[in-house]
Amino acid sequence: MIRIAAVGDLHYGEGSQGILKPGLEHLPDRADLLLLAGDLTRWGKPEEVQVLADELRGVPIPMIAVLGNHDYHCGREAEVRRVLEAAGVRVLEGEGTTVDVDGVRVAIAGTKGFGGGFRGAHGSDFGEPEMKAFVGHTKMLSDRLEKALLGLNAADLRIALLHYSPIEGTLEGERLEIYPFLGSYLMAEAVDNAGADLVLHGHAHHGSEKGRTPAGIPVRNVAQPLIRHAYNVYTLNGHRELLPAAAGGIT
Amino acid sequence: MSERPDYLPEHIREKLFHDPRVAEQDLRVDVKEHRVLLGGNVSSLQLRHTITEVAQELLPGYEIVNETTVVPTTEPEDAEPVS
Repeated sequence: MIRIAAVGDLHYGEGSQGILKPGLEHLPDRADLLLLAGDLTRWGKPEEVQVLADELRGVPIPMIAVLGNHDYHCGREAEVRRVLEAAGVRVLEGEGTTVDVDGVRVAIAGTKGFGGGFRGAHGSDFGEPEMKAFVGHTKMLSDRLEKALLGLNAADLRIALLHYSPIEGTLEGERLEIYPFLGSYLMAEAVDNAGADLVLHGHAHHGSEKGRTPAGIPVRNVAQPLIRHAYNVYTLNGHRELLPAAAGGIT
Repeated sequence: MSERPDYLPEHIREKLFHDPRVAEQDLRVDVKEHRVLLGGNVSSLQLRHTITEVAQELLPGYEIVNETTVVPTTEPEDAEPVS
């Protein structure tokens, strides 16, 4: 059994010292990995993420993150990433990584993702350059997510780590008018095409925790204002069920 | 800033979001007479105090009633088996 701790939307800033640290005390006993689903800062400043990095440094389990929209706000996301990585947090954007947990290969593909909306009500890259840029960004990141997941196909477990939501199900509680700014079905399609065991995201503070992609892959919204804990823990059966061919079952 | 009551709450909400000391999008703002009601979730008691100060800077002379909630960050009780 693999234990995944996850949280997003910590929104650290000056004065956030000590918000998370007490809640991390028993984390190494309760989880094998810590995944951070973006919006780790308020304004995207390296000084803000440094406060969080100082609390995470030394946590003795692998830590993997994506950034969120707040972490891009002041155009210093590369510095934010470097601060996290200096504290031992691997930051993913359109790429994947694999962690060995007691012989089980757990792979994580990560992207911030972006908005656009959901099936039957998704924006299109049509008309003004601004609209093309908006939807085009989501398409590009979703394509990269799918490729990253496909590249991790040899792992025993695959997790997609996002900031924006891939489904409407984990947005229930948010105002319908802002759904297009909270996520896009293109990310769900990418996950369903490539396959995964779990999808984690944040961003929707007033949404719902649990949902599934159209193909049935579990999705969890781990936005901290929603889960109201330092993190949540999800357990996964450590070995992917072998297809008959792979198991030598076809004669 | 427009003083029209129809638009004032949204202007305050936007200014709070764009203030680097706050940068919180989830705040609710209602203005009644010369009273500003603030609601929503915040990550710390310090941020809650800062929001009151910034709102007061934006609307001097108004009474600021801050009803925001500090979100707990305690450890979770149980793990959820997903598969």
